Amino acid sequence: MLALGLVLFALGLYGVLSRRDLVAVLASVEVMIGAALVVLMAVGAAAGGPSSQLEAAGVLMLVLAASEAAVGLALLVAVARRVRSTRVDDLTEVKG
Amino acid sequence: MSSQVIEMVLLGGLGALCLVGAATVVFAREVMRLVLGLGGFLLGVAGLFAWLGFGFLALAQLFLYVGGVLVLVLFAIMLVHRSAPGQPSLSSRHDVLAAISAAGIAGFAFIMLRPAVDAAEASARVATTDGLAEVLLSSMLPQFEIAGLLLLAALVAVVAVSGGDRE
Amino acid sequence: MSALLAYPWLAVAVPVALALVAALLGSRGRLIAPWLAAISASTVLAIALSSLAAVAAAGHVAEKPGSPWLGEVVSQGTIRWFAAGDMALSIGWAVDGLTAVMLTVVGVVALAVVVFSAGYMHGDKGWVRYFALLSLFAGSMSLLVIADSFTGLFIGWELVGACSYLLIGFWYEKPSAAAAAVKAFLTTRVGDVGLLIGLALLWGATGSLGYEEVLAEVGTVAPLSVMVAAVCLAIGAMGKSAQFPLHAWLPDAMEGPTPVSALIHAATMVAAGVFLVARVWPLFEAAPTARLVLMTAGAVSAFGAALAALAQRDIKKVLAYSTISQLGFMFTALGAGAMVAAFFHLVAHAAFKALLFLASGSVIHGASTQDLHEMGGLRKAMPVTFATWVVGVLALAGVPPLAGFFSKDAVLEGVLHSAPGVAVLLFAAAGVTAVYSARATRLAFFGTPAAGLHAHESPASMTVPLLALAVPAAGLGFLAASVSGLLGHEAEPLQPMVAAVSVGLALLGGVTGWLSAAGPEGDTATARRLGGVWTLLAAAYRYDALVDRLVVKPAVTASRALWAFGDRLVADGAAHGLAALVKRAGARLSAWQTGDAQDYSTAIAVGVAAMLALTVWLGRW
Repeated sequence: MLALGLVLFALGLYGVLSRRDLVAVLASVEVMIGAALVVLMAVGAAAGGPSSQLEAAGVLMLVLAASEAAVGLALLVAVARRVRSTRVDDLTEVKG
Repeated sequence: MSSQVIEMVLLGGLGALCLVGAATVVFAREVMRLVLGLGGFLLGVAGLFAWLGFGFLALAQLFLYVGGVLVLVLFAIMLVHRSAPGQPSLSSRHDVLAAISAAGIAGFAFIMLRPAVDAAEASARVATTDGLAEVLLSSMLPQFEIAGLLLLAALVAVVAVSGGDRE
Repeated sequence: MSALLAYPWLAVAVPVALALVAALLGSRGRLIAPWLAAISASTVLAIALSSLAAVAAAGHVAEKPGSPWLGEVVSQGTIRWFAAGDMALSIGWAVDGLTAVMLTVVGVVALAVVVFSAGYMHGDKGWVRYFALLSLFAGSMSLLVIADSFTGLFIGWELVGACSYLLIGFWYEKPSAAAAAVKAFLTTRVGDVGLLIGLALLWGATGSLGYEEVLAEVGTVAPLSVMVAAVCLAIGAMGKSAQFPLHAWLPDAMEGPTPVSALIHAATMVAAGVFLVARVWPLFEAAPTARLVLMTAGAVSAFGAALAALAQRDIKKVLAYSTISQLGFMFTALGAGAMVAAFFHLVAHAAFKALLFLASGSVIHGASTQDLHEMGGLRKAMPVTFATWVVGVLALAGVPPLAGFFSKDAVLEGVLHSAPGVAVLLFAAAGVTAVYSARATRLAFFGTPAAGLHAHESPASMTVPLLALAVPAAGLGFLAASVSGLLGHEAEPLQPMVAAVSVGLALLGGVTGWLSAAGPEGDTATARRLGGVWTLLAAAYRYDALVDRLVVKPAVTASRALWAFGDRLVADGAAHGLAALVKRAGARLSAWQTGDAQDYSTAIAVGVAAMLALTVWLGRW
């Protein structure tokens, strides 16, 4: 499962770095987070069994991720309205 | 059929679901296909959690992610993509580097984490929700509270950010 | 009085401090400024007199070979300045006979000048600055004199040079004055370079700059080092004392106020060169080449300057060339080995030359002109000035029984003893001295006054110092034995032959000079008859033009070329090039700032991968 999780993580990372559409980038971020959680849970379970503490930690992390997704998407909507595009190439205000 | 085989098949199926879903997210051209892929991936992850023995976590993943986040994504897409979305080009100038670094990180992390996993046998065991509740409300209480605050803050942030220009 | 002796450095500290006070007071100190300067001069004089008394009381002290001290050392002290390894620099004082006498000269002349200036400089808007500078000069000169090492001497040396610059250019709005100040400073600077090189050589050879330590090593150090160092010191002395070829600044220095000329450019600063040689005499005893340099410079200056003085129209310029000439006498004596004679002449010359300069100041004040041709018949309008002038001039010409006669005789005898050929040149110079003295006297004080001349005698503030200085100018000769005794030497008895020849030459010269300036036209007839020679002398052999062509213009051209190349091309080029480089690099590097978040994230990812790789590789995970 470790290998699987890491492969998923790599996939997500690749997506974050190379997709040209903002929505795709954010979705890839979610993939990364999910994959990371999987890896964490897998290693934790392998090391000390499926403990409640580990599960609690996992739940809390899930909460974090969900908040992040919400805020990220809100930002996406706000930015897209401003620039009237969701293409990464069009977001160049920090350029120079 | 022996339970072992069933387990293997189940695990393989879940794994495949995750992989296919992730791949779709990363490589899909049409945005709807991307959403579907994301949904599949999230489902698979929930399954994996369950397989590991974290029942509550799997449920939470289902509700929060598949139910909540996926819907959010759909909403965002609806709001943002007005006209027929132009096909976003897939190749960018840092493809190679991205691939290399992603593979590298995954690879090295694997090397580093392997010993911990090999040490124990992964067997499906079920954890009770009572234990979870007890932990959340006692030893991890601060984290629990903060998580609640965080949710609130996120809520406010979302409202504020997406409020748009009122003038 | 003897308590003062324990702190001779007060002769330095008090004047310098009072100069500072005056400087800080600024224009509020108009009333008090001359008094401060007077206190400075008096402090120096008091310490000088107490030193004299102490040295005299110690009686005759046998001369120690290799020791710089002459007569009894009555006070000594040091402050360690800094040490580097086994080489140390300390600054201290030592008062012996030489110091005491020199200090007295400084004190007496300084006091006379301060009093005189109170009258002469009256109404000048730089009044306070003037007296502050006088105090500073007194302190600096004292430092030069009482130092027990080259360190102190050099500091004082440079300080008096700075004071000289500031005082020559006192009326700085006058471009000629400013130019003269710069010329003086630069010319003496050339000599100072020699001095510095000499000091460096001595320090390197002996590991110390104290007189005693250095002179103790003279016998053991390589003779070549000794010779080169001595020659370098001689060059420094020649610069400071305006000897050929570093003499051209002194006539120009007459741009400064006349009392300044009296103090600095007649009696004290220009004598510093002679003092230096006398101070470290054993060094020069061991370096015949250096003595030859001194003698050559001195003889040429003595004769050449005397001739130039013949044709000058400005009364101060006559005195300036006269000073160069008389210093030449001293240098020639030093070169011939007659140190005591040279020093005695220094003392006498200080008295009568300062007197003459102050008297000329009185003339300038009373007759409102410096041009000899615009004067005439002043002996009636300015009797006191006239009388003191005559005393000074007779002393200068070497007429017995005035001081100049005795001192000049000592010099002539000393030179005759070692270098008879050169002595002839000196005799000739002595004769010419009488000629120009008589000429100047006749033109200024006799004959009919020029048209438009309204002369009046000067106030007491000016005439009293004149009278005061006339006393030593007249009577110092009789103290020759005492002065020599203070220096730890026996007095040389007077040789009748030499005396007779010199007096004869003086009379002959005097008559010639008198006649040359005869008649209502003054010396115009003589000038016409001598034609080209006269103009050459008046222009001092066009030496300045020569220096300008040979030294100044090449130096300026070279600096311009260096500036164009070294500064503009290299330095500016480097600076601009560096700036351009940074700009270009910045422009190229800013291409990295794409503003693309994915670009940045990729970079991060690569970095993380690299770090993980490193961890794995290093930790053999």
